[in-house]
Amino acid sequence: MNETAIIRAEGLCRTYTVYEKQPGLIGSIRSLWNRKYRTVVAVDNVSFSVEPGEIVGFLGPNGAGKTTTLKMLSGLIYPSSGTASVLGFTPWERADSFRRQFSLVMGQKNQLWWDLPASDSFDLHREVYSLPKDRFQTVLGELIEMFEVSRLVRQPVRELSLGERMKMELIASLLHEPKVLLLDEPTIGLDVVAQQTIQRCLREYNRLKQATILLTSHYMRDVEALCKRVLVITNGKLVHDGPLATIVQRLGSIKQIRLQFAGESLPANIRLPESSRVQGTVVDLSVSRELVSETISRILEQHPVSDITVTDPPLEDVVARYFQETSEVPKT
Amino acid sequence: MSAVSAKPFESSGLVRALVKYLNIFKASLIERLAYRADFLLGTFLRLLPLLTTILLWKAVYHSKDEISGYSFRQVVAYLLLVHVSRMFSSMPGLASGVARDIRDGNLKRYLIQPLDLMAYLLAYRMAHKVAYIVTSLPLYSVLFYFMGSFFDIPTDPKIYGAYVLALFLGFLIGFAFELSLGMLGFWFLEISSFLYLVNTVNFFVSGHFLPLDLLDPWVAATLKMLPMQYMAYFPAALFLGKIGNWDSIIFGISVEICWCVFFFLLARFSYRLGLRRYGAYGG
Amino acid sequence: MSSRRSLSSYFRLLTVFAKYSLAREMAFRGNFAMKVLLELVWLAILLIFFRTLFRGVETIAGWDQHAFLFFIGCYYALEGVIETFFLENFVEFGDLVRSGNLDLHLLKPIDEQFLLSFRYVDWSTVPKVFIGAGMMSIALVQGGIVPSPIYLILFMALFLAGVSMSYSFLLLLSSTAIWMVRNQSLMELWWLFTTLMRYPRDIYDVSWAIPIKLIFSFILPALLVISVPSEVAARQLVNPLWITWTIIASVLSLKVSRMVFQWSIRSYRSASS
Repeated sequence: MNETAIIRAEGLCRTYTVYEKQPGLIGSIRSLWNRKYRTVVAVDNVSFSVEPGEIVGFLGPNGAGKTTTLKMLSGLIYPSSGTASVLGFTPWERADSFRRQFSLVMGQKNQLWWDLPASDSFDLHREVYSLPKDRFQTVLGELIEMFEVSRLVRQPVRELSLGERMKMELIASLLHEPKVLLLDEPTIGLDVVAQQTIQRCLREYNRLKQATILLTSHYMRDVEALCKRVLVITNGKLVHDGPLATIVQRLGSIKQIRLQFAGESLPANIRLPESSRVQGTVVDLSVSRELVSETISRILEQHPVSDITVTDPPLEDVVARYFQETSEVPKT
Repeated sequence: MSAVSAKPFESSGLVRALVKYLNIFKASLIERLAYRADFLLGTFLRLLPLLTTILLWKAVYHSKDEISGYSFRQVVAYLLLVHVSRMFSSMPGLASGVARDIRDGNLKRYLIQPLDLMAYLLAYRMAHKVAYIVTSLPLYSVLFYFMGSFFDIPTDPKIYGAYVLALFLGFLIGFAFELSLGMLGFWFLEISSFLYLVNTVNFFVSGHFLPLDLLDPWVAATLKMLPMQYMAYFPAALFLGKIGNWDSIIFGISVEICWCVFFFLLARFSYRLGLRRYGAYGG
Repeated sequence: MSSRRSLSSYFRLLTVFAKYSLAREMAFRGNFAMKVLLELVWLAILLIFFRTLFRGVETIAGWDQHAFLFFIGCYYALEGVIETFFLENFVEFGDLVRSGNLDLHLLKPIDEQFLLSFRYVDWSTVPKVFIGAGMMSIALVQGGIVPSPIYLILFMALFLAGVSMSYSFLLLLSSTAIWMVRNQSLMELWWLFTTLMRYPRDIYDVSWAIPIKLIFSFILPALLVISVPSEVAARQLVNPLWITWTIIASVLSLKVSRMVFQWSIRSYRSASS
């Protein structure tokens, strides 16, 4: 393993027991000696290392273990086994100086005070992290400019849109100039424009400050925009660690087409591939990228179509298929 | 809704309505009984303050036999009886629930379905109360057995009848009062702090905190003119023989009935008014 | 780089929390006014009750009118202190655990207990502290009681001990939010605690109430919180054993509650995903 790595994880495992909680006080007391439980493996032997200044993406379907891994790296939870080192610290010991040097931002969880302007929360942040005033003002100014929120800083946070709020959350997380930035689903729930702004700002920040960024997402777009290197996690296991290009090539080649046919029912003479799903007058097909326009024009010529949508297949399908593929194909 | 039946009795609208509300009653009863265990613990916790208050009064009566016509035994008996009155008349969450439904626009449900808000709530609350009282019965029986020495059992059987009637009317007044408060939700967005204020004032004004007779005579007289006394003071005082002769009791109950009608009408009227002015907006 | 925060930096942090809590509260002036009104109503009820009790009796359980008024003032003030600094924070704690937002607080480079206890300052209950202090002063003046400086210092120390014990109780309750499913009981149990501390502990000197007196003087010392400091200041009763025990109990409860708190956080961090 590299000596210069700023983040290092070796054999991280995380299993936990899920207790079935019973309602009420008496139920809770009873459950103290008689509990029903099952074991869940959230993270299974994950190892990787990250160099300073890298932007690395964690990709994987919901519940794959990305958030759990991130939480272990930030010291919020203990691993069941394995070691990790972030900035030279063991995260779950939660040393004060460790906490001062990194940030974790979780999408849809806000730390800013709801009824006050963001600037007040920033000031609070400064006090909490004991940041010297001058340096703080400089950094804050830079961040406000970078995220283009100078008009909004004085508005109560509850009046901001979701995208604007996320920007403020990010600014707050960067005020103490962390060397490591951990992001969990930062663009979840945001519209495309807001997503792109966030992506741009993160890229910019990484370029200017050489901060190491680790972000999890189940949006391919986030990862595409920011990360040269991607770690794919499914079912708690790390199944890919390498350049994004490899995955995009392999996985990004399929498109999904949804067709809505005009009229009461499907045209009788329609020819559809076997893999299509039909529901009433709606048909879903998967077609490789090169064949999309050909397929669509063929169908349009012959049948009345009232609506067409072309999308990327859901990541779960894509990654699941990738996992399937990698287990079938012998490694070279 | 089932297909048209040939039997004229079954297709009677009244019977169908009764059956419907009976089902609501039954469903709510089951829901309340499910929380039995928590409830027991909660009741026990609720009795500790009662104990503390009794100890305080004991200390007060150490140097005096009687205050404003109440002996120590009577004060303790009063406190227990007021607990019973409140068991009937308290409506936790009724006003805030109605206000919330108004704010969230849930009232549409009552406009579309053949369901009347007030009747539904009444059935629900009645079930709640029955379950509450039934499950409290063992506990309170034990309590009253131990505290029996504090009571002078009324000899006149009419008193018992009047007492039960007063309790039942107290339930209705409590219900209609809280319901009327909830209707404020049509005109004000956030009434929770106001409700809290009303409940705090009511705690004192209804005689829940201490017997109204113990206060300054003119204060006591004023408070007895208010409807809130029927939610705690009146039934308890009736049982203790503090209301006076039978005529006074009849008078008191008649006024209670009037207040009852008044609050039901108020609730109904403000409900109609609110619906008309604002529709069932929200959300 | 030394990462240990100084006491003064914690204090400064507290003033910043207070500043922004005030700003936040001023955004909802109507609500603030309503809360203050509510307190005044409660005060009126307490005072009417007090007057009713003393109509025709000179002393209650050894407390005369003035000492009793002092007691009520002390109660009101202490309740004010707890409600201003802690109650809202602990009530919210359960929500933080359930929503997972607790994590955000664990990431900050401050002691979690401090952060979670002092985050918000409820300014609407600050008047209670002053009104309580006023009542205590009036009681002393009207009763012609002039406690010596030593007694006053002793009173302050015991008042602080009472605050510590109440705080520890709240902390203990909140920590259990991590395991319990329902948590609305926090307010109920706190209310129970206050009903116990609301009257002089001498009223428990009745044969059947002695067990209660013992339990709530030694195991959960709610009865000591207001009684002991008030006894010293208003009745000049200095019982070295009780005073020593009160101080010890307050230190013990702080230590025990902190232990339980840290244990719960550890358990939260082992169980969450």
